[in-house]
Amino acid sequence: MDVKINQDGCKYEVVLDGRIDTTNADKFQEDLTPLMNAETPEIVMDCTGMQYTSSQGLRIFLSLQKSVIAHKGSLVLRNMDPKVREVFDITGFSSIIKID
Amino acid sequence: MRLNRSLSVRLSFYIVLATGVLFILLLFQMGIAGRNFIRQEATNTANTTLDGAISDMEAAMTDVEAALNSQIWVVKEHLSDPDYMYTVTRNLVDYNPLIVGSAVAFEPYYYPSKGEYYSPYSSTDPQSGKTVSKQLGSNDYDYFTAEWYQVPKLLMANRWSEPYFDEGGGNVMMITYSVPLWNEDGVCFAVMTADVSLSSITDRLSEVHPYENSYPFMLGNSGAYVAHPEEAKTQHETIFTAAIASGDKDVFELGRKMLAGESGNSEIEIEKERYLVTYGPLYNGWSVAIVSPSNDVFAGLKKMNFPMLGGVLLGLLILYFLVRFIIGRTTQPIAEFSYSALSVAKGNFKARIPEVQTHDELKQLETSLHYMLRSFDEYIRELKSSTAANERFESELNIASKIQYGMLPRDFPKDDRVDLYAMLQPAKEVGGDLYVFELSGNHLYFSVGDVSGKGVPASLYMALTRAAFKLLSNMQLTVPQVVAKINDAFAEGNRSNMFVTLFFASLNLDTMEMEYCNAGHNPIVYIDEAGKSQFLPAKPNIACGVFEGFEYQGETAKLSKGSRLVLYTDGVTEAEASDKSQYGEERLLQFASSRPVSESSEKFVSGLLDSVREFTAGNDQNDDITIMSIKFQ
Repeated sequence: MDVKINQDGCKYEVVLDGRIDTTNADKFQEDLTPLMNAETPEIVMDCTGMQYTSSQGLRIFLSLQKSVIAHKGSLVLRNMDPKVREVFDITGFSSIIKID
Repeated sequence: MRLNRSLSVRLSFYIVLATGVLFILLLFQMGIAGRNFIRQEATNTANTTLDGAISDMEAAMTDVEAALNSQIWVVKEHLSDPDYMYTVTRNLVDYNPLIVGSAVAFEPYYYPSKGEYYSPYSSTDPQSGKTVSKQLGSNDYDYFTAEWYQVPKLLMANRWSEPYFDEGGGNVMMITYSVPLWNEDGVCFAVMTADVSLSSITDRLSEVHPYENSYPFMLGNSGAYVAHPEEAKTQHETIFTAAIASGDKDVFELGRKMLAGESGNSEIEIEKERYLVTYGPLYNGWSVAIVSPSNDVFAGLKKMNFPMLGGVLLGLLILYFLVRFIIGRTTQPIAEFSYSALSVAKGNFKARIPEVQTHDELKQLETSLHYMLRSFDEYIRELKSSTAANERFESELNIASKIQYGMLPRDFPKDDRVDLYAMLQPAKEVGGDLYVFELSGNHLYFSVGDVSGKGVPASLYMALTRAAFKLLSNMQLTVPQVVAKINDAFAEGNRSNMFVTLFFASLNLDTMEMEYCNAGHNPIVYIDEAGKSQFLPAKPNIACGVFEGFEYQGETAKLSKGSRLVLYTDGVTEAEASDKSQYGEERLLQFASSRPVSESSEKFVSGLLDSVREFTAGNDQNDDITIMSIKFQ
């Protein structure tokens, strides 16, 4: 899992690449820590390269979403793979997290 | 101390061995040098002694010669007085101690009045010591043919005779100096002689003793022994007859050189013994030699050998103990290091490292050992803590999974209405799958869920879900309301944002009406009595534990007898082959349709698991797999 974050003020452009599974979920959470601590972040995540996420990955997206709300920011996931989108749909996360 | 001792012993041994070899080489070299030196010294001594003896003898002989020569003119002056010759000879004997006899032997009929033989002769009487005179020549003693008369006359030269035994006179070995006398016409008219006892000459030689057992000998012109310690030899033997008799080639060669008038030194072998010989000529053609046994000459060297060898051995012994002591002392820390290292090897990282006072390799060793110990200590401490952490983690996982799997219900209902079977195949690390069911009267409650995150007590959810079944039966709540309560219980204070996806259902076995709620879980499979499979439609709900107060929506369905429900977790549909492709929902539906409708739940479940395993083909299982089959009849 590769996470690239470009910051411009409050605006964060995040590019995800790879799979999120049990082996790298902790690392993924660590990578997103700056986003979770930011004030009023406007985060746009490009999910083109994310082929899979396990439930641990979902949990981290949920954590991010909650911190974004707490910090009065916004989070949008873009270009999500249909299979991954399905997981978000099944778990009901697509109703919590905005997916374009 | 064993290491210490053996090292010092071994090193000392090698050092002493090497030193010993050097010593022996040195001794050998010294022996050769000493031998050469001693031989040179011996040669010098012998030469000096020989020169002294030779000049003594020559002095004696020249004294005799001078005395005789001094009387020649007297004889010539008094030729007219034949009887005066007695006076001349008497004076020669009286005034020259060496001369024991003297004669003036005239040619036949020189004095017609004196007849054929006229040879006035004076000699010392051996008995009285007085000088007596007589006429020597007679028919019995034809002196004209005597060597002392004939040879000098023929050679026309003054001459010393070879030694001869004087039977008539003193019965001793004699030599005679003969001088031919010539008239103005160059005709020999007489031979004048002086007799000398050989011993009076060679006595000087016998005093020559450079070494205890050395002896001199003298050769005449023909090689005959003129003087030799064994007197018998002087009468009959020559050096050559002696050499032939004993077979000593060295002696023969020596004789040849001496007769040739050479002087020199040689080491020869006589009757298996070695001798040092120094020889030189006398002016009259004789040759003198001093023979010294090598044993005598080199006796000093031999005497030195023992004390020197003893000294060397003693020195080596002292060196051995000294070196052993020094090495022992120096390498003492090594032995202690060895014990420290052994102690360390046994696990004592507080082992004492000996302190080294010197600044050498041992000090480096000490420093290195200290460093090693520190590194060991740190490493072991790290290892211990990480091991402990691992153990703690593993034991927590084990406890968690034990609790989780221990709580799974196993009393599967199987009667004429329902055949339920479930299976949970855990992944290596504990997943969060759970299944629960309860048959209570005519109601069957069942649920399958998947908790996100590791090490989370799925058992808690199970306990909660079970409690929820009680809520359902006792409090008359709807299924979505119960799920909402589960959600609220977990969403409250859920800092780590764990969540659980749940399929939750309540079925009335009499009416076959089912009320269910899907909280973010995979859709369940329904296989009708004809074997046609489909996903049971469900309204989307969010997983439990995410948002407190979320209102869950449920639905109802009427099932037919002979149908089957299949509940599962994403461990089935997301099971991966090595190419990362997933088992997927399509494959699941196909599998469901392919099985006989009447198959027991247990066989169906194991069949589905086999199908998944076949698909992943040995690829690691990375999530729990839970399958529940409920067959209605």
